[in-house]
Amino acid sequence: MADAIIEVKDVEFRYEGAEEEAVAGVSLRVERGEFVAVLGRNGSGKSTLAKLLNALNIPQKGEIWIDGVAAHEEANSLEVRKKCGMVFQNPDNQIVATVVEEDCAFGLENLGVPPEEIRRRVDEALRVVGMRDYAEAAPHMLSGGQKQRVAIAGVLAMRPKIIVFDESTAMLDPSGRREVFSVAEELNRRDGITIVWITHFMDEALRAGRLLVMDAGTVALEGAPRDVFQKTEEIRKMGLDVPPMAQLAAQLRADGVPLRADIMTVEEMAVELCRSKFGA
Amino acid sequence: MSIEIRGLTHIYMPGTPFETRALDDVSLTIRDGDFVGVIGHTGSGKSTLIAHLNALIRPEPGHVFVGGVDVGEKGQSLIEIRREVGLVFQYPEYQLFEETVEKDVGFGPRNLGLDEETVKTRVREALSQVGLGEEILEKSPFELSGGQQQRVAIAGVLAMKPGTLVLDEPAAGLGPAGPEGLLTLIQGIHESGVTVVMVTHSMDDAARFCDRLIVLNHGRVAFDAVPGEVFRHEAELRGMGLDVPECVKLVRALKERGMDLGEGLYRMEDVRAAIEREVGKC
Amino acid sequence: MLKNITIGQYFPGNSFVHRLDPRTKLLLTLGLIVVVFLSQGFLGFAAVFGYVLLAARMSKIHLRFLVRGLKPVAYIVLITFLLNIFFQSEGTPLFSWKFITVTDMGLRRAAFLAVRLVLLITASQLLTLTTSAISLTDGMESLMRPLTRLRFPAHEIAMMMSIALRFIPTLMEEADKIMKAQMARGADFESGNLFRRAKAMVPLLVPLFVSAFRRADELAMAMEARCYHGGEGRTRMRQLKYGKNDGIAGLSLLALVAVIVLFNILGVF
Repeated sequence: MADAIIEVKDVEFRYEGAEEEAVAGVSLRVERGEFVAVLGRNGSGKSTLAKLLNALNIPQKGEIWIDGVAAHEEANSLEVRKKCGMVFQNPDNQIVATVVEEDCAFGLENLGVPPEEIRRRVDEALRVVGMRDYAEAAPHMLSGGQKQRVAIAGVLAMRPKIIVFDESTAMLDPSGRREVFSVAEELNRRDGITIVWITHFMDEALRAGRLLVMDAGTVALEGAPRDVFQKTEEIRKMGLDVPPMAQLAAQLRADGVPLRADIMTVEEMAVELCRSKFGA
Repeated sequence: MSIEIRGLTHIYMPGTPFETRALDDVSLTIRDGDFVGVIGHTGSGKSTLIAHLNALIRPEPGHVFVGGVDVGEKGQSLIEIRREVGLVFQYPEYQLFEETVEKDVGFGPRNLGLDEETVKTRVREALSQVGLGEEILEKSPFELSGGQQQRVAIAGVLAMKPGTLVLDEPAAGLGPAGPEGLLTLIQGIHESGVTVVMVTHSMDDAARFCDRLIVLNHGRVAFDAVPGEVFRHEAELRGMGLDVPECVKLVRALKERGMDLGEGLYRMEDVRAAIEREVGKC
Repeated sequence: MLKNITIGQYFPGNSFVHRLDPRTKLLLTLGLIVVVFLSQGFLGFAAVFGYVLLAARMSKIHLRFLVRGLKPVAYIVLITFLLNIFFQSEGTPLFSWKFITVTDMGLRRAAFLAVRLVLLITASQLLTLTTSAISLTDGMESLMRPLTRLRFPAHEIAMMMSIALRFIPTLMEEADKIMKAQMARGADFESGNLFRRAKAMVPLLVPLFVSAFRRADELAMAMEARCYHGGEGRTRMRQLKYGKNDGIAGLSLLALVAVIVLFNILGVF
């Protein structure tokens, strides 16, 4: 249990005036350096959970530990937000400044970091997300994917241990989605930043190290994406889809075609079908 | 009524450093009864094209004919063109504004100058076309879920009884379960006799629902053909920042390994049937 | 239609004027405004005009831009001019028609006020043309900081201005889309009398406000997530520093003031 960077214990959260809990008894652990995807349909509580990890929501019940800091106590919120950064859904509504590099500096300015240090970290962060050439551009002239990369740089400059992406690709076109997802993958792989990736896209969830499926404010399924997506029926009952190849595999198997159960990608499907037809 | 586009070019902010050629000599025809998918990455000119279909942008230079009428002609009644070609934008938030769903859906018909009785019937018909019951009439459009808002927005356009319905990314931003139901609904509207033009990013949706695809790239028509034909150009599509449906990729991957399912397959159920024929059941 | 409006029309460059500290430019502009009001005659105006022209020259801003910027306010200048001609009855009549009498004093006064207005606008235009929005707000915040002791919310005002500038293009684009969405449902924004047109704006304004409020909400949360907690203990990446050039610019304004005061004392108009 030594290296859990996120620990959520029996957390309940209800919005003011709401009748039901948005998060109703969630417990989970995330290890340092993990890439965890959280899947769920609208209203499943996945965004509420994201905001609990960042102390934007304070739970009414339960405990949340972020790298050893109690995120369930409001007094720690600044400390928690330094450790756990967040990238939101709408690219337009999280950029504060009229110039890209100024926006990147925003978090560090709030923390009272000395100017020269801010300069260094901002340049570094923009370089990492590949937006160095746009340092002096106006945000509204950028594409959606570029805006999200600026938002990532703004978080990155604060040197967080964890970054939570709250449906950060939902409003992007396919190339923007790929752009942003690969930046997150790179941060995880190369810099060891723990990623919590909230999404409703199956193909993204498939590429995570671990997958949590939320339904009605609780964690309904959990495990390696490959294992979770084999539960085709359960997932569909929660109003979610499975990746197209997993769906096809399930149908073919139901029709009697002998196939492995854990096919997720086109490549795997092709290999498996050829094995089935031509033999090993 | 068919829509004909001839030699259409559109330049944004001409003569400034921001000058962009959004459409470049586009010619195409949308025939009665079509279900056309318009595909292209961001900035390919899709939005500019559809804004021309109902004269939100004046064709200059070039011509757009709706049922033979040149929409760019001086003195042409725009309201009749906008009634005939209904346009639903990507975000329902951009059009919902009234206190109740009933008033909001009635906005279009009322602008057409119809009497209150007719407006009332039209509103109810349109809502039932998008699968919403009368219990929603008195609700505020702002308290609905995203999916319901999208349906109300579509109803607001259907209430004008358009011959052609143009939808900009109808399924975007609906979450995981949203697209399926909405797209089936649009299919139903098409079957009831309305010509449908749908802008989409999703190749899988385009493959499932459209009989014809128009692919735009840098303001030009790159492809205009049936889906099976368009998807044969996988490499070119990738070069345009686009993709092909998963099952088309599967057909290609199988072919490379010596299993040929045949040409022109692009729908999941067809691919599945072909696989079952090829591999055989045990 | 809305896309053609540019606000805070900054003209990027790297001239002497561009490189001045924004605080210097703000103070100079303020100073110029005072000088314009101080001048009592056309000779003074000529001096100010020469000064502005020189500054424009040094900032490599084409005069065309300055003239273009006057267009939206041309009506105001014209109306000021006409009102002052017609409502001044002192002096020697030059021209008379029915109840209208134009006197030499009236003509002089009208020209005086019109020129004053043009000078004021040109001077402030030069400021926005050579200073980016972000430098402007930085400069303002820095100049207003001493007022914080009097509980004046200097940081908050600067932050509000900067966010407003950030969202103007976004909301403009959104307004354009909403307008199109409503026109697609047969809305007519262009014809009818004033009352009808005002009423026709409702379908545009409601979605625009709803969206703006949602944006504000989300932005507030995003700012909080990045540890925003007001102006206290905040640092800035960009530090404002006065340089030699700022001194030179300041002295030049003092020289102009001296000239104007001299004109006033000597009574040359």
